[in-house]
Amino acid sequence: MEPILITGMGVVSAIGLGKAQTLEALLNNRSGVGPLYYLETEHKEFPVGEVKLTNAEMCSKLGLPENALAVRTSLMGMLALGEALEEAALTPDMLSKVGFISGTTVGGMDKSEQYYLDYLEGDVHKEYIAAHDCGSCSERIADHFGKFAFVTTLSTACSSAANAIILGANMIRCGEADIVVVGGSECITKFHLNGFNSLMILDTKPCRPFDATRNGLNLGEGAAYLVLESAESARKRGVKAQALLSGYGNACDAFHQTASSPDGEGAYLAMKEALELAQMQPSEIDYINAHGTGTPNNDVSESQAMRRLFSEQVPPVSSTKPFTGHTTSASGSIEAVFCILALQNGFLPVNLNWSQAMDDGIIPVSQPTKKTLKHVLCNAFGFGGNDSSLLLSSAKVPELVEGPTHSDGASTDSATCYILSAKQISIQQPLNEDWMDSPVVYDQPYIRSIDPSFKDYVSPIEARRMGKILKRAMATSKEALKAAGLESVEAIITGTGFGCVENTELFLDALTKEGEQLLKPTYFMQSTHNTISSLVAIQTKNHGYNVTYAHKGISFESALQDAWLQFRLGKIGSALVGGHDEMTETFFHILKKGGVLGNDDEICGETAVSVVLSRKLESQVIEPVEMPSQNQSALRQAQGPQALCKLIGFKMLHRPTTNELKETVTNLLQESGKSVSDIDFILTGISGNHKNDKAYLEETKLLFGDKPLLKYKHLFGESFTVSGIGFYVAAQCLAHHRVPEALFVNSSENKAVQPHCILIYNRSDGENVALTLLED
Amino acid sequence: MDELIYTLKQQIIEALNLEDMKPEDIDENASLFGEGLGLDSIDALELIVLMEKNYGIKLQDPSQGKEIFKSVAVMADYIQKNRTK
Repeated sequence: MEPILITGMGVVSAIGLGKAQTLEALLNNRSGVGPLYYLETEHKEFPVGEVKLTNAEMCSKLGLPENALAVRTSLMGMLALGEALEEAALTPDMLSKVGFISGTTVGGMDKSEQYYLDYLEGDVHKEYIAAHDCGSCSERIADHFGKFAFVTTLSTACSSAANAIILGANMIRCGEADIVVVGGSECITKFHLNGFNSLMILDTKPCRPFDATRNGLNLGEGAAYLVLESAESARKRGVKAQALLSGYGNACDAFHQTASSPDGEGAYLAMKEALELAQMQPSEIDYINAHGTGTPNNDVSESQAMRRLFSEQVPPVSSTKPFTGHTTSASGSIEAVFCILALQNGFLPVNLNWSQAMDDGIIPVSQPTKKTLKHVLCNAFGFGGNDSSLLLSSAKVPELVEGPTHSDGASTDSATCYILSAKQISIQQPLNEDWMDSPVVYDQPYIRSIDPSFKDYVSPIEARRMGKILKRAMATSKEALKAAGLESVEAIITGTGFGCVENTELFLDALTKEGEQLLKPTYFMQSTHNTISSLVAIQTKNHGYNVTYAHKGISFESALQDAWLQFRLGKIGSALVGGHDEMTETFFHILKKGGVLGNDDEICGETAVSVVLSRKLESQVIEPVEMPSQNQSALRQAQGPQALCKLIGFKMLHRPTTNELKETVTNLLQESGKSVSDIDFILTGISGNHKNDKAYLEETKLLFGDKPLLKYKHLFGESFTVSGIGFYVAAQCLAHHRVPEALFVNSSENKAVQPHCILIYNRSDGENVALTLLED
Repeated sequence: MDELIYTLKQQIIEALNLEDMKPEDIDENASLFGEGLGLDSIDALELIVLMEKNYGIKLQDPSQGKEIFKSVAVMADYIQKNRTK
């Protein structure tokens, strides 16, 4: 790939606010880990790396009122983002052309754990309910500076920020954006301090990665963002590169939900892929910033992965977690900033607290060392084996910055891909298309999905720690793969607004009612959003690309976009894309109180949808064995592989103006070679939420005139990922060449029209708009 | 001892959410991990919580579990010798 420029960066962590303090601490071996001070918890025995500011002090620095409605993760994010934008000379008026991609898992959990009992009963603090989810957290960080072109959230536990960087790079390489600000933010909460404690991987002493006596990690917090920019854009704007992103890799360990494999397969594959993308040899790497958490398991596994890739020539390695603690979702971008500071200033950060080599482990950098660095690797691994590695290069490397300045040429590739299969479990009949003829209509405000028997998909022993969302995800994924005739895919990408609500709630409930002792590790390990995607990978033994998006009503489209970008880059040939959200009585009650879902006449449901996408049709081999009779299988073979329909265009916008909407629709149609008259129906997200429904009617009228409108949420119920069901519905309508009567918004429309082209219009409360164009 | 073994089996089924399993389905002499019931490191952590919650036994080091959780019988024996409640 052509290296991507990094034209700005900002950071906040336990070792300081901003790059200058951070560099000073790294050069002088000054750790920010110490006794717990800011977080209110019983667990004073664990050292942590806290950002040395109260929320009120952060508000003051940001010019916000002291009682601003902001969660700590958002406040830290704002501090880091401000510094990054400033260095890249990006002013608020320029942001409408700039993307923002942030990683977090905790989101607004700091307030949710504080006010959970109020959320259950009473009326106070309910304004924080809408700030709970990861997507809201990112939106608030972005909104502090202006209106970005698009915003989304990665949530792959401790590799979230690294995967945000990878998505941003893919967008630039596809020509979807010239500038994308990427990274992550995460504050320490009681929730995950107790969660890690329940997993018994917290050390009561300062952490000692790669040391024989290591006994766990210290938690940390912070935020960091990088401004990724195409060379052409940077030249036009007259801004300099601080460093370059020359490669990156993402792979799934597919071993265990919380443990790394003994041979470090995921880590090995991620680092190897980063080198391959950069077209570099292992010998060209001058330094590795290891994930190095200090748990017995991680450091063995990561050492093994490095040995496998570099054999006897492992470059200097250090983990900087003894400086900051493990900053979880933010660690990927915080440590990327450390790497860039090392590249710029020619030094190797020290692996503090190390004294004794572990058996068969690597020997990390233990003394301050001056060294000219050209290329470095930065590792970030997450629960579920979501492993990523970034290859960063010095901006002083002449052969790199003087290379060609155009994007990869990937954008010139046809954007079409095929939808081979789509399966859903919802409040309609699960795993079949009966709803098309006999939809069930409900009028209760919240309806639980109708579940199939899960015995065919998960064994009882596997089911022991699967909430309903996971069982549904396994069932729809396996059915979708089967229907597509594929045993495996090259990428598993999931969207989920709230993740595993059932287990999160059980853990939070016990934490707030019974206290900080004897909490169940099972509830905690299933509470991260990436549990779904990584569990599908573990169960299908898939080491391919694996990420999870958690960004409100465009979580599914964010996942879809990721697959679509990688098809265009030629990176993958097939992908399993899912949209999954579950609901409980309690959570519904809380969300309704916070005005998040279930407003006006809206019914609220649960979503489980899995679709298999493929770049090409001819690469598919449909197994005829599933067909009931030989005649039919012969027929199927004669016809060749079938797809439900094609995805021919896709756009995502953040708080668009009318003109931006018009312009985007024009571009979408132009790029897919279509005109408005080719579109047969607009599938809207009309749900019974009066304000949003009115906006749907007004906007579609303005953009598409009197084009017939369809709706589906009245049949399936609202959820953050129900637009994935919209995708499924449109695909089934195109595959069956008909539109069920129950979908028409206006009953006087001609219902006999056979659909050939459907535009899915998802406006997600106007905050984010996603346009998906499907053709038969 | 038999009573403790039976109770322990019930507690294990509940703590590990072993759907569709009854105490009679668990052989107290069979291995809990690996070949036997097929439990893993997270289950071991759940068993540590179970022992502390129900019997007041606190394990500081999860690796101690390897010996103690060999089978339900071994676990019951350890509980009988070390319980504080």
